[in-house]
Amino acid sequence: MINLFQFIPEIFILSLILITLCFGLFNKDRAISLNTLGFILLSILLLNYGKDFYSSTQISLNTINLFVLSKIILSIGSIIFILLLKRPLKNENLYRYEYVLFLLFAILGSFVLISSNNFLTAFIGLELQSLSLYLMAAFNTKNLSSNEAGIKYFSLGALSSGFLLFGISMIYYDTGSFNIQNLDNFTAISEIGLSLVLISLFFKVSAAPFHIWTPDVYEGSPTISTLFFATLPKFASLIFLFRVYQELNISDIKSLNYIFQMVCAISLLVGVYGAITQKVIKRLLAFSSINHIGFMLLGIMSYQFMSEGTIFFYLIIYLITTFGIFAVLLNLRTVDGEFTKISQLKGLRFTSNSKSISMLVFFFSLAGIPPFAGFFAKFFILSASINDGFILLSIIAVLSSVIAAFYYLTIIKNMFFNKSEIELLDDNNKTGKVIFISSGLIITLFFIYPDPLINLVDNLFK
Amino acid sequence: MSFPILSLLILTPIIGALTLSLSSSTQLKNKTIFLSGLWITTGEFLLSLLLPIFYDKSKNGYQFIEFHTWFDKFDINYYVGVDGVSIPLILLTTFLVPICLLCSINSIQNRTKEFVIYFLLLESFIIGVFVSIDIVIFYVFFEAVLIPMFLIIGIWGGENRLYATFKFFLYTLAGSVLMLLAIIYIISKVKSGNIELISDFTFDQQIELVLFLCFFASFAVKVPMFPFHTWLPDAHVQAPTSGSVILAGVLLKLGAYGFIRLSLPFFEYASIYFQPMIFALSCVAIVYTSIVALRQLDMKKMIAYSSVAHMGFVTIGIFTLTQDGINGAYFQMISHGIVSAALFLIVGVVYERHHTRMISDYSGVTNVMPKYSFFFMVFMLSSVGLPGTSGFVGEFLVIMSTISVSVYLTFFTAIGVILGASYMLLLYKNINFGDLKSDIKQLADLTNIEIFYFSCLAFLTMLLGIYPKLLFEMINKSISLSII
Repeated sequence: MINLFQFIPEIFILSLILITLCFGLFNKDRAISLNTLGFILLSILLLNYGKDFYSSTQISLNTINLFVLSKIILSIGSIIFILLLKRPLKNENLYRYEYVLFLLFAILGSFVLISSNNFLTAFIGLELQSLSLYLMAAFNTKNLSSNEAGIKYFSLGALSSGFLLFGISMIYYDTGSFNIQNLDNFTAISEIGLSLVLISLFFKVSAAPFHIWTPDVYEGSPTISTLFFATLPKFASLIFLFRVYQELNISDIKSLNYIFQMVCAISLLVGVYGAITQKVIKRLLAFSSINHIGFMLLGIMSYQFMSEGTIFFYLIIYLITTFGIFAVLLNLRTVDGEFTKISQLKGLRFTSNSKSISMLVFFFSLAGIPPFAGFFAKFFILSASINDGFILLSIIAVLSSVIAAFYYLTIIKNMFFNKSEIELLDDNNKTGKVIFISSGLIITLFFIYPDPLINLVDNLFK
Repeated sequence: MSFPILSLLILTPIIGALTLSLSSSTQLKNKTIFLSGLWITTGEFLLSLLLPIFYDKSKNGYQFIEFHTWFDKFDINYYVGVDGVSIPLILLTTFLVPICLLCSINSIQNRTKEFVIYFLLLESFIIGVFVSIDIVIFYVFFEAVLIPMFLIIGIWGGENRLYATFKFFLYTLAGSVLMLLAIIYIISKVKSGNIELISDFTFDQQIELVLFLCFFASFAVKVPMFPFHTWLPDAHVQAPTSGSVILAGVLLKLGAYGFIRLSLPFFEYASIYFQPMIFALSCVAIVYTSIVALRQLDMKKMIAYSSVAHMGFVTIGIFTLTQDGINGAYFQMISHGIVSAALFLIVGVVYERHHTRMISDYSGVTNVMPKYSFFFMVFMLSSVGLPGTSGFVGEFLVIMSTISVSVYLTFFTAIGVILGASYMLLLYKNINFGDLKSDIKQLADLTNIEIFYFSCLAFLTMLLGIYPKLLFEMINKSISLSII
C-alpha cells in the first residue's frame, strides 16, 4: 500500500492545475490569482506540517529537511513569479492562463524531481519540468526569436533527456535497480551510466561545457520566461544533482569526481569569459549564471564540511538577487519594445532612484563585494571548499569572481556614470517595485542582521 | 558594558546618509545638503575625540571593546576595539572627511546629495576597518570601502574617469580576493576570526610564507608598493579633489595599517623571510617613483608619484621590525595623510580657478595669490621633510632604523629624501615664481573657508613636527606589542 500522505504537496499542485484548467476558461484573472492563494496555502502547509508528510517513510531526517526546504523555496518563488507575470505578459499581448498552467506543470515536475528516490521518477519529473519550459520559451509565438529559443531548447533538451535515459538504463543493466540509494556494487558500466546522468543534469543546470543553449534561450524567450528558467527549475535540478552527488557518494568515485571538478572549473571560467563581451543584458545574465553554477558545484562538492547549509544559502541568495534583477528589468521598456541592451540602461540613475540603487545592490552582491549578502554566500562556499581541500578550485573561483566584477561594474557604470541616450519607459508596476525593493533590502540588511536567513537554513538541517 | 562608542562611530555616518537619502532632493539646496553633511561629520569628529581622551595609555591590548555574536556557526563575531595604533588613524579619517566636504562645496554642483551620502558611507567603512579586531569584519569593511570610492571617482572624476575607476576597483579587488582565501584558511585552522587568537597561533612555515604573500598581495596594492602602484596615478588624476584627498590621506594607510595590524603579528617567520624582498621593492619605489615624479607635467600626477615614494618609507620602516622603524613608519603615515591631503587640496584650489593641472600653465602665482603660496610652502616643506614639520620626524626615524639593518638601505632611502626635495622644490618654483602669466592675473586668492582648512592642516603639521611625543605616547605601547 503506497502511503499517499507523502504526496500531499504534489497532489495539491495537481488539483491546482485542474482547477486552473477549468476556471481559466471563464475568468483568467481569477484563475491566476487563485494560484497565488494556492501557493501561499501550500507554503504554509509545508512550513507547518512539511516534516510530517514524510514521517511514515524510511527517508532519513536530513533528506526530509532537504525536501521540505526546497519545496518551500519553490512555492514561495512561485508566488513571487505569479505576482510578477501579469504585467509583462500583458505588454506582449501574451496574457493567457495557459502560461500559468505551464508554470504549474513545471513546478509539479520540480517537486517530483526533488523528492524522487528512483531514477525513473526523477526522469518523469525532469521531463515534466522540461516540456513546460520549452513551451514557455516559445510562448511568444509571433516572435521569431522566441520560436527559435523554444526549438533550440527543445532539440537540445531532448538530446540531454536521451543521455539521461541511456545512462539510467545502463545503471539498471548493471545493478538491476532504479533506486538512487542502492548502488553499492559499482562497475565500469554504471560509472559510464552515471556520468551520462550527470551530463544530462549538467545540461539542465547549464553548467559549462553543456551550456551552449543558455545564452540563446535566455535571449530569445520572453523576459518573464527567462526569469523562470534562471530560478526555480534550475534550483530544482541543482538540488537533485546535489542529492545524486550525496546519495551515490560520488566523491568516492574517482572518475566522476574528476568530471565534477572539471565541469566546475570550466563553468567558472566559461561563465566569466563569455560574459565580458556581451551587449545584451539577458545574455550577460546567462553567462553570469553559468559562473554562479560553478560556485554552486563547488558548494555541492564540499558539502561534507558544513552540511547542506552552504549550498542552500548560496542558492537562496542567488534566487533573491535574480528575482530582484528581473523585477527591475521587467519594469523597464523602451519606446519601441522590450528593453534588451546593456547600453539602454544608461542614465537609469537619473530616471529612477529605487531601480538604480536596487540594481547597484544586486550587481555588487553578485560580484561578491561586501557588505552585501552575495559576499557571505561566496564566503561560506569558499570556507567549505578550502576546508575540504579544493584549494585550486577555490583560487579559480575567486579569480573568476574578480573578472566577473568587471562586467557587473560595466552595468553599474552604464546606470550611474553615463547620461541616458534613449528614453526608458517605466511600467510603474507596483508589485514589481515591492519585489525588487524588498529583495534589495534583504540583500543589504543581511549584513547587519543575518540571523533569520542563517537560522532558516540552519534549523532545517539540525 | 560601557558606552558603545565604536559602534556609534561606525553608525553615525550611515544613519546620516540614510536620513539624507530619505529627504527629497528637489527641495534641498546644494548648500543645505553640504551643511548637513558637514554637521554630521563634524559631530563624528568630536565624537572620535573622545577616544584619545578616554583611552588608557598604560594598559595593554584593546579598549572600548564590543562583542556581539554574528555568525555563530562559523565563529565570526562583531568584535571591535581600538588600541594606540588605530586611534590616530581614526582621528585622521574623521578629521579629513569634513575637509573633503568643505573643499567640494563649490566644485561639486551636480548630484550633491549622492556625493555627501557616498562620503558618509566611505567614512563609516574606513572607521570600520580601523576598529575591527575580527578578521572577517576587517575584510568586509576593507572591501566595502571600494564601493563608494568607485562611485566617487566614476561620477565626479575627470575625462578619463572610467578607466581610472575600473582600474582602481579591479586592481584592489584582485589583491583582496587572495587575502580572502588566506583568511578563510586561517579561520579553518584557528577556528576563530579573533585577531589576538590568530596572532598566538603558529602556522607551518611553508604555509605561512604562502599566507603572507596572499595578505601581501592585498596590502601591497593598497599601499601601493612598487610594481602594484600603477592604479594610483590614474585614480588620483581622475578623482575629484575630495576623492584624491581621502584616497591619499586615508585609503593608502589601510594597506600599511594592515601590515602592522595583521601581517606582522600573524606571520612572524614570514615577515623576517620576506624582509629583503620588501626592502628591495620599497627602495625601487622610493628612487624610481621619485625620478618619475621629477618629470611629471601634471601636478596631481607628481604628487601621486610622491605618495608612492613616501609610502615606500612606510613599508621600509614597518619591515625593519624595530620599535623605531615602525614608530617612524607610523608617524610617516599620519604625516603623509595630512600633508599629501593638503597638497591635493592645494592643487584643487588652483584647478578650481584655472581648470588646468598642467604645471606649465602656471607661473608667478605668488604675485596674485600670496596666501596660497604661503600654505603651499608649508606643506611643500613638510613633504620634503624639513625639521620642525611632521614630515621630518617620520623620515628621520625610518632612515635611522635602517642603519641597523643595512647601510645600503640607508643610502637608498636618503637618496629618496634628496630626490623628494628636488621635485617638490621644482614644483613649487615652477608654479609660484617666475613671470606672471597673463591668464593667471585674475586668479583670486584663498577664500576664508580655504584659509580655515589649510590652517587646520598646517597647524597639525607643525604641532606634530615640534611635539611628536603627542603621537608617540599614543602608539608606543601598542607597537611594541606587535614587534616580534
